Amino acid sequence: MSSLDFALIGHMESWSDASAVLGQLRGPSCDPLPEEDLRSIVEWLPPRTICRVTAHSTSGANARGVYIDAFIPPDRLDSRFLRENLGRVIAAAECAKREGAALATLGGFSSILLEGRLDLLPEGISFTTGNTLTVALIVRGIERALSLCGRDLRHASLLIVGATGDIGSACARWFATRVGRLILCGRNRSRLTALERELESQCRVERGTDLRELAARADLVICAAALPGPELLLDSLPASAIVCDAGYPKNVFASAGAIVFFGGLGVVSGGLAMRPDLEGTLNRHPYPHVAHGCLLEGMTLALERRFEAFSRGRGQITPGRVDEIWEIAQRHGIELAPLFNHAGPVESEIVELRERSQS
Amino acid sequence: MNALEQQTATLSMTETERGVWGDILSQAVTGELIGAMNYQTLSLLYGDAAEKIEALEHAAGEQRHAVMFRRVAASIDFEVRADVDAPYWARVRAAFLNRAAMGDTIGCVIIQEVMLESFAVATYRQIANAAPPIIGETFGAIATEEAEHVGHAVALLRGERARDPEAFDASAHAVHEEVMTTLAEMVAREDRAGHCGLCQGSCVKPSLPLVGLATTELRGSALRQYLLTLDAIGVPGEVSLTWVAGLPV
Repeated sequence: MSSLDFALIGHMESWSDASAVLGQLRGPSCDPLPEEDLRSIVEWLPPRTICRVTAHSTSGANARGVYIDAFIPPDRLDSRFLRENLGRVIAAAECAKREGAALATLGGFSSILLEGRLDLLPEGISFTTGNTLTVALIVRGIERALSLCGRDLRHASLLIVGATGDIGSACARWFATRVGRLILCGRNRSRLTALERELESQCRVERGTDLRELAARADLVICAAALPGPELLLDSLPASAIVCDAGYPKNVFASAGAIVFFGGLGVVSGGLAMRPDLEGTLNRHPYPHVAHGCLLEGMTLALERRFEAFSRGRGQITPGRVDEIWEIAQRHGIELAPLFNHAGPVESEIVELRERSQS
Repeated sequence: MNALEQQTATLSMTETERGVWGDILSQAVTGELIGAMNYQTLSLLYGDAAEKIEALEHAAGEQRHAVMFRRVAASIDFEVRADVDAPYWARVRAAFLNRAAMGDTIGCVIIQEVMLESFAVATYRQIANAAPPIIGETFGAIATEEAEHVGHAVALLRGERARDPEAFDASAHAVHEEVMTTLAEMVAREDRAGHCGLCQGSCVKPSLPLVGLATTELRGSALRQYLLTLDAIGVPGEVSLTWVAGLPV
């Protein structure tokens, strides 16, 4: 019998996040740490639990877990540090096992690093990438944005950047029967071709590797991968395009014309409790109880008492599984978070798009 | 290493490098002497004869380490300054004696075998990797022996904590505040409390990069080892992280 329901494995996205978390742990009597000091501390910290988390379902159920930080330095997310970071993720997974968690979810970059190699993780505990609920939240976000601006998905040209990845391909499969035109962008030509062949009987599909060229044809975008140069996308998009930044880390900033919102974020309507109380520090968003879909998947499955490797990576997410996890999430009051981006809430701007097009 | 090799190694060092290694050795000798004294005190606290004998064996081991470091210093023609009354080390020893006076054997074990030995294991390994063989081999060998002391503490303290986790953590935190703050100050970037009393001349810390070392790495690896030891004892990660996050940088 496990002593905890879930473990959330994550890492800090920026030095500013690291400063906020460590600053709160140091307490008000200590001076804030300058970034230089943070850099010299974080890289040495062994992966560990940094707070106890209780997720409350609107059904009245609770699930108890921990948030484990892998302490990947925010400026070492690139491939040069692959081996080092993989070691940190595996150590974090071992920490989840030591904590006695029945299920662990691989947040942020940790599942990207593993690339579906869940066999590298310790036995005796289930691991889920969290990508299925992330996809469910992305599609709900797109639906919400289109609803706010009065557009019809069936007439939209949806560009998916990073279309052949686990999240990108799942989004493509989900939207294939619902969207006017699907434009697939990725680096791996053979995977792109395979995905196009899989989906071409369901909708009009185009594919390519030239983001600038593809962006000019789209009015709706899902960035399922972090962009090396967001301007390649933003400079080519038609005015009033809508962009869902679901990549990691999120790096598409709103520009003139296009509206950007963060995808894959949900809210625990029943509430999240953290000890020490890092709510709003660990998850710095404009709304309370908001978290990334990958982390929410672990809580959702724990609330449902389904301690299983629901998402295993490597492009195995089907539309049926997306709908299934969404149904479970809804049963426990895990909903789409209000849309926002780097600058804050964004829903009123999307409504203005509708008003602009009507005038 | 034979005499010719020793002479060659010494000659290949600059005077500044020799001074840096010498100051590091002064810290190591003093730390080992403090360890020997702590184990002797521990032997008086234990009621069980086997535990008394084991503590005395450990004291002898620490003394032997001090002798080994002195020999290394002699081989590079450096006279170490060993002073157990040097400010930082005196504070550590006073904290230990304070716990001993209270009859707090567990607190004493935490100071010696968790805090001091974690620092020794991690920093000695760093030094072993950076130093020329004439110095590095001794640091490496002693780091391995000190790691056994940490293992001994983990087995004992894990059981102790399981009996009353809250009381154990409260007691360990009190010891942490006293001793780890001192140790963290020793390896902080700057010597805020003034001269450490062991460096011959100015503080050695700014010169560490000349021999391939850095205070940030020594501090980081020492605190990492300390956290891993606390993990092994069973102290919750969020608790030990909060303790360490508050230490001086």
